[in-house]
Amino acid sequence: MTTDGDLIQRAATGDRSAFEDLYRRYARPVFGLALRRLGDRGRAEDAVQETFASIWRSAASYRPERGPGAPWLYAVARNAIVDRARARTEIPAEIPDEAGTEPGPPEQAEQGWVAWRVHRALEELPEREREVIALAYWSGLSQSEVAEFLAIPLGTVKTRTRAALQRLAEILGDEVDV
Amino acid sequence: MSDFRDIIDTEGLEPEEEARLRRVHELLVRAGPPPDLPPSLERTPEAEDAEIVQFPLLPKRRWAVAALVAATLALIAFGGGYLLGHSHGGPSSFSVEKIVPMHGSGESQGFIKISSRDSVGNWPMELEVSGLPKQSQRQAYYELWLTKGGHKPTELCGSFRVHGDSTTVRFSVPYDFHGVDGWVVTAQPQGTREPGPVVLTT
Repeated sequence: MTTDGDLIQRAATGDRSAFEDLYRRYARPVFGLALRRLGDRGRAEDAVQETFASIWRSAASYRPERGPGAPWLYAVARNAIVDRARARTEIPAEIPDEAGTEPGPPEQAEQGWVAWRVHRALEELPEREREVIALAYWSGLSQSEVAEFLAIPLGTVKTRTRAALQRLAEILGDEVDV
Repeated sequence: MSDFRDIIDTEGLEPEEEARLRRVHELLVRAGPPPDLPPSLERTPEAEDAEIVQFPLLPKRRWAVAALVAATLALIAFGGGYLLGHSHGGPSSFSVEKIVPMHGSGESQGFIKISSRDSVGNWPMELEVSGLPKQSQRQAYYELWLTKGGHKPTELCGSFRVHGDSTTVRFSVPYDFHGVDGWVVTAQPQGTREPGPVVLTT
């Protein structure tokens, strides 16, 4: 599989198909990160556009010897989203008197990075594996209900789910090594 | 959310492999579902130059010319902004974030340079038009409109009169640009309140 770094370097030379591959891999993670940070779909859409415009413009500044592509892309996205957040004009909500249970900035940053990596990895799964993962984790269905919903045997659901997690483990690499 | 063992069949897995999959499971739970992409993001954005906003009505040949001119203007705007910022400072300088080329009949054309939204919610913009005929009536003027829903003039950005071949005016508008499908400049004959004939469009 072509690495993110390879795609960034090709995009830097004006390779449109490499840019499209990057978009396919990262549009959803960028949108998710922007939604999480901005809390508004319209602004998040703008942030995605700005992120990919920045990627296209600044791809030549990527240095593979400094690290893989994902953190570089994350930094570009974060900057675009922060710029968009600074442009917000809504009156900020009142600061509560008591400490809330919301995660602080470091936790939010870590959470954002985890979601970024996982959502990016999900884009690599075959559609049928991504489907069972979405149903098993985020639809509230049991494995039997997933099988019924997809009209496939329960054993197939289990096989696909396990295969999907194994594939995700490969993609996520260091994140899951124990 | 189901437990790991409710989702994954661990039968036959080595403990180390089970631990890896459990870690993936935890990450999936922490990450939550990926968002659905809105239709506007389903296609890869244009990558040629995202600073310049192209609306669909601009023909390709004119687009190429307009992009070149707009890029030059951006450079001038940057240089001008730099000079202003370093010589006078003050409110007359603003950074250009987007450039929207406009075209009309004959030699008439225009560019809208849009800055970032200010702290109270206004978008500063600078309109530069050239080739528009001077108003024939004493109280006639032009208007810049945002268009929506099939290029209908919807939100008035400002009114202006031209003098000489090229005219530059600044506006500041509070509108949200979502759903906007372009801009038009209309000619407003004396005594007209409704949007007049379109003389420049994106």
